[in-house]
Amino acid sequence: MEFGSIEREIFVEASPEIVFEVISTPEHIRDWWNGAETDVRATPGAEADIAWGRGSADEHVEHLTVVRAEPPRLFSFRWVADDTGALLVTFELTPSGAGTSLRMTETGFREKGWEAAVLEATYADHVRGWDLFVPNIADHARRLAASR
Amino acid sequence: MNATVDDDLWSAIGDPTRRRMLDLLLVGPGTATALSERLPVTRQAVAKHLAVLDRVGLVRVTPAGRERRYEVDQDQLARAVAQLADVGATWDARLQRIKRIAEAIARAGHDAAHDPEHEPKHHRGD
Repeated sequence: MEFGSIEREIFVEASPEIVFEVISTPEHIRDWWNGAETDVRATPGAEADIAWGRGSADEHVEHLTVVRAEPPRLFSFRWVADDTGALLVTFELTPSGAGTSLRMTETGFREKGWEAAVLEATYADHVRGWDLFVPNIADHARRLAASR
Repeated sequence: MNATVDDDLWSAIGDPTRRRMLDLLLVGPGTATALSERLPVTRQAVAKHLAVLDRVGLVRVTPAGRERRYEVDQDQLARAVAQLADVGATWDARLQRIKRIAEAIARAGHDAAHDPEHEPKHHRGD
């Protein structure tokens, strides 16, 4: 297994306070994370389950531990933990103009990363894009290389 | 979607220098010497990276005089990119939703602040 990371940055036309609330409270997490049910609190050390498809045959539950919660600047948590390690997701919020620059990194053992992505895809009601990249692999690979 | 993970393949494409090399080779086949002229690393280092790419099938090798010529194996690269894109794409989708939700809340707060029927909304942290 390889230690890898994904990095993304996005500009949000909303204050860091609002963005922090969206990334760290259960009611909003449900909306952006494919219907995930969790009772996580934005407190360092807080532990919670995060579940998809509760009550269905495909139910999937992961454990989540908040590592850092410093509103409205930083929120990070570990998930998909087992004896081989865990994935660490970090959100960094920086005021930018009239909004917020939101930077997300997910680091960890890539094999777990793929598994998590695949599991989640099962519950992805409106996540398309699996084949978005296939039509022009060379172009995509070029952009990918340039952005890393 | 391919659910299995090829660790070696990820490892090969996970290195920034090797990704840059693939980038250059996508433009056209090249030798270690030609690549080293366009990268801030020695020819020896380029040769080592090419060996890694060769081992996982990301490049194909043909003799070219005293040197060897490398070209990208498009099928294998497609597989690697698909694996990379899967995890990235789920995060892209989530971040777009975070953006949408936060901006909707910001707009609602802004509208309320400019609506004489409502008290101006306080910003948390003020």
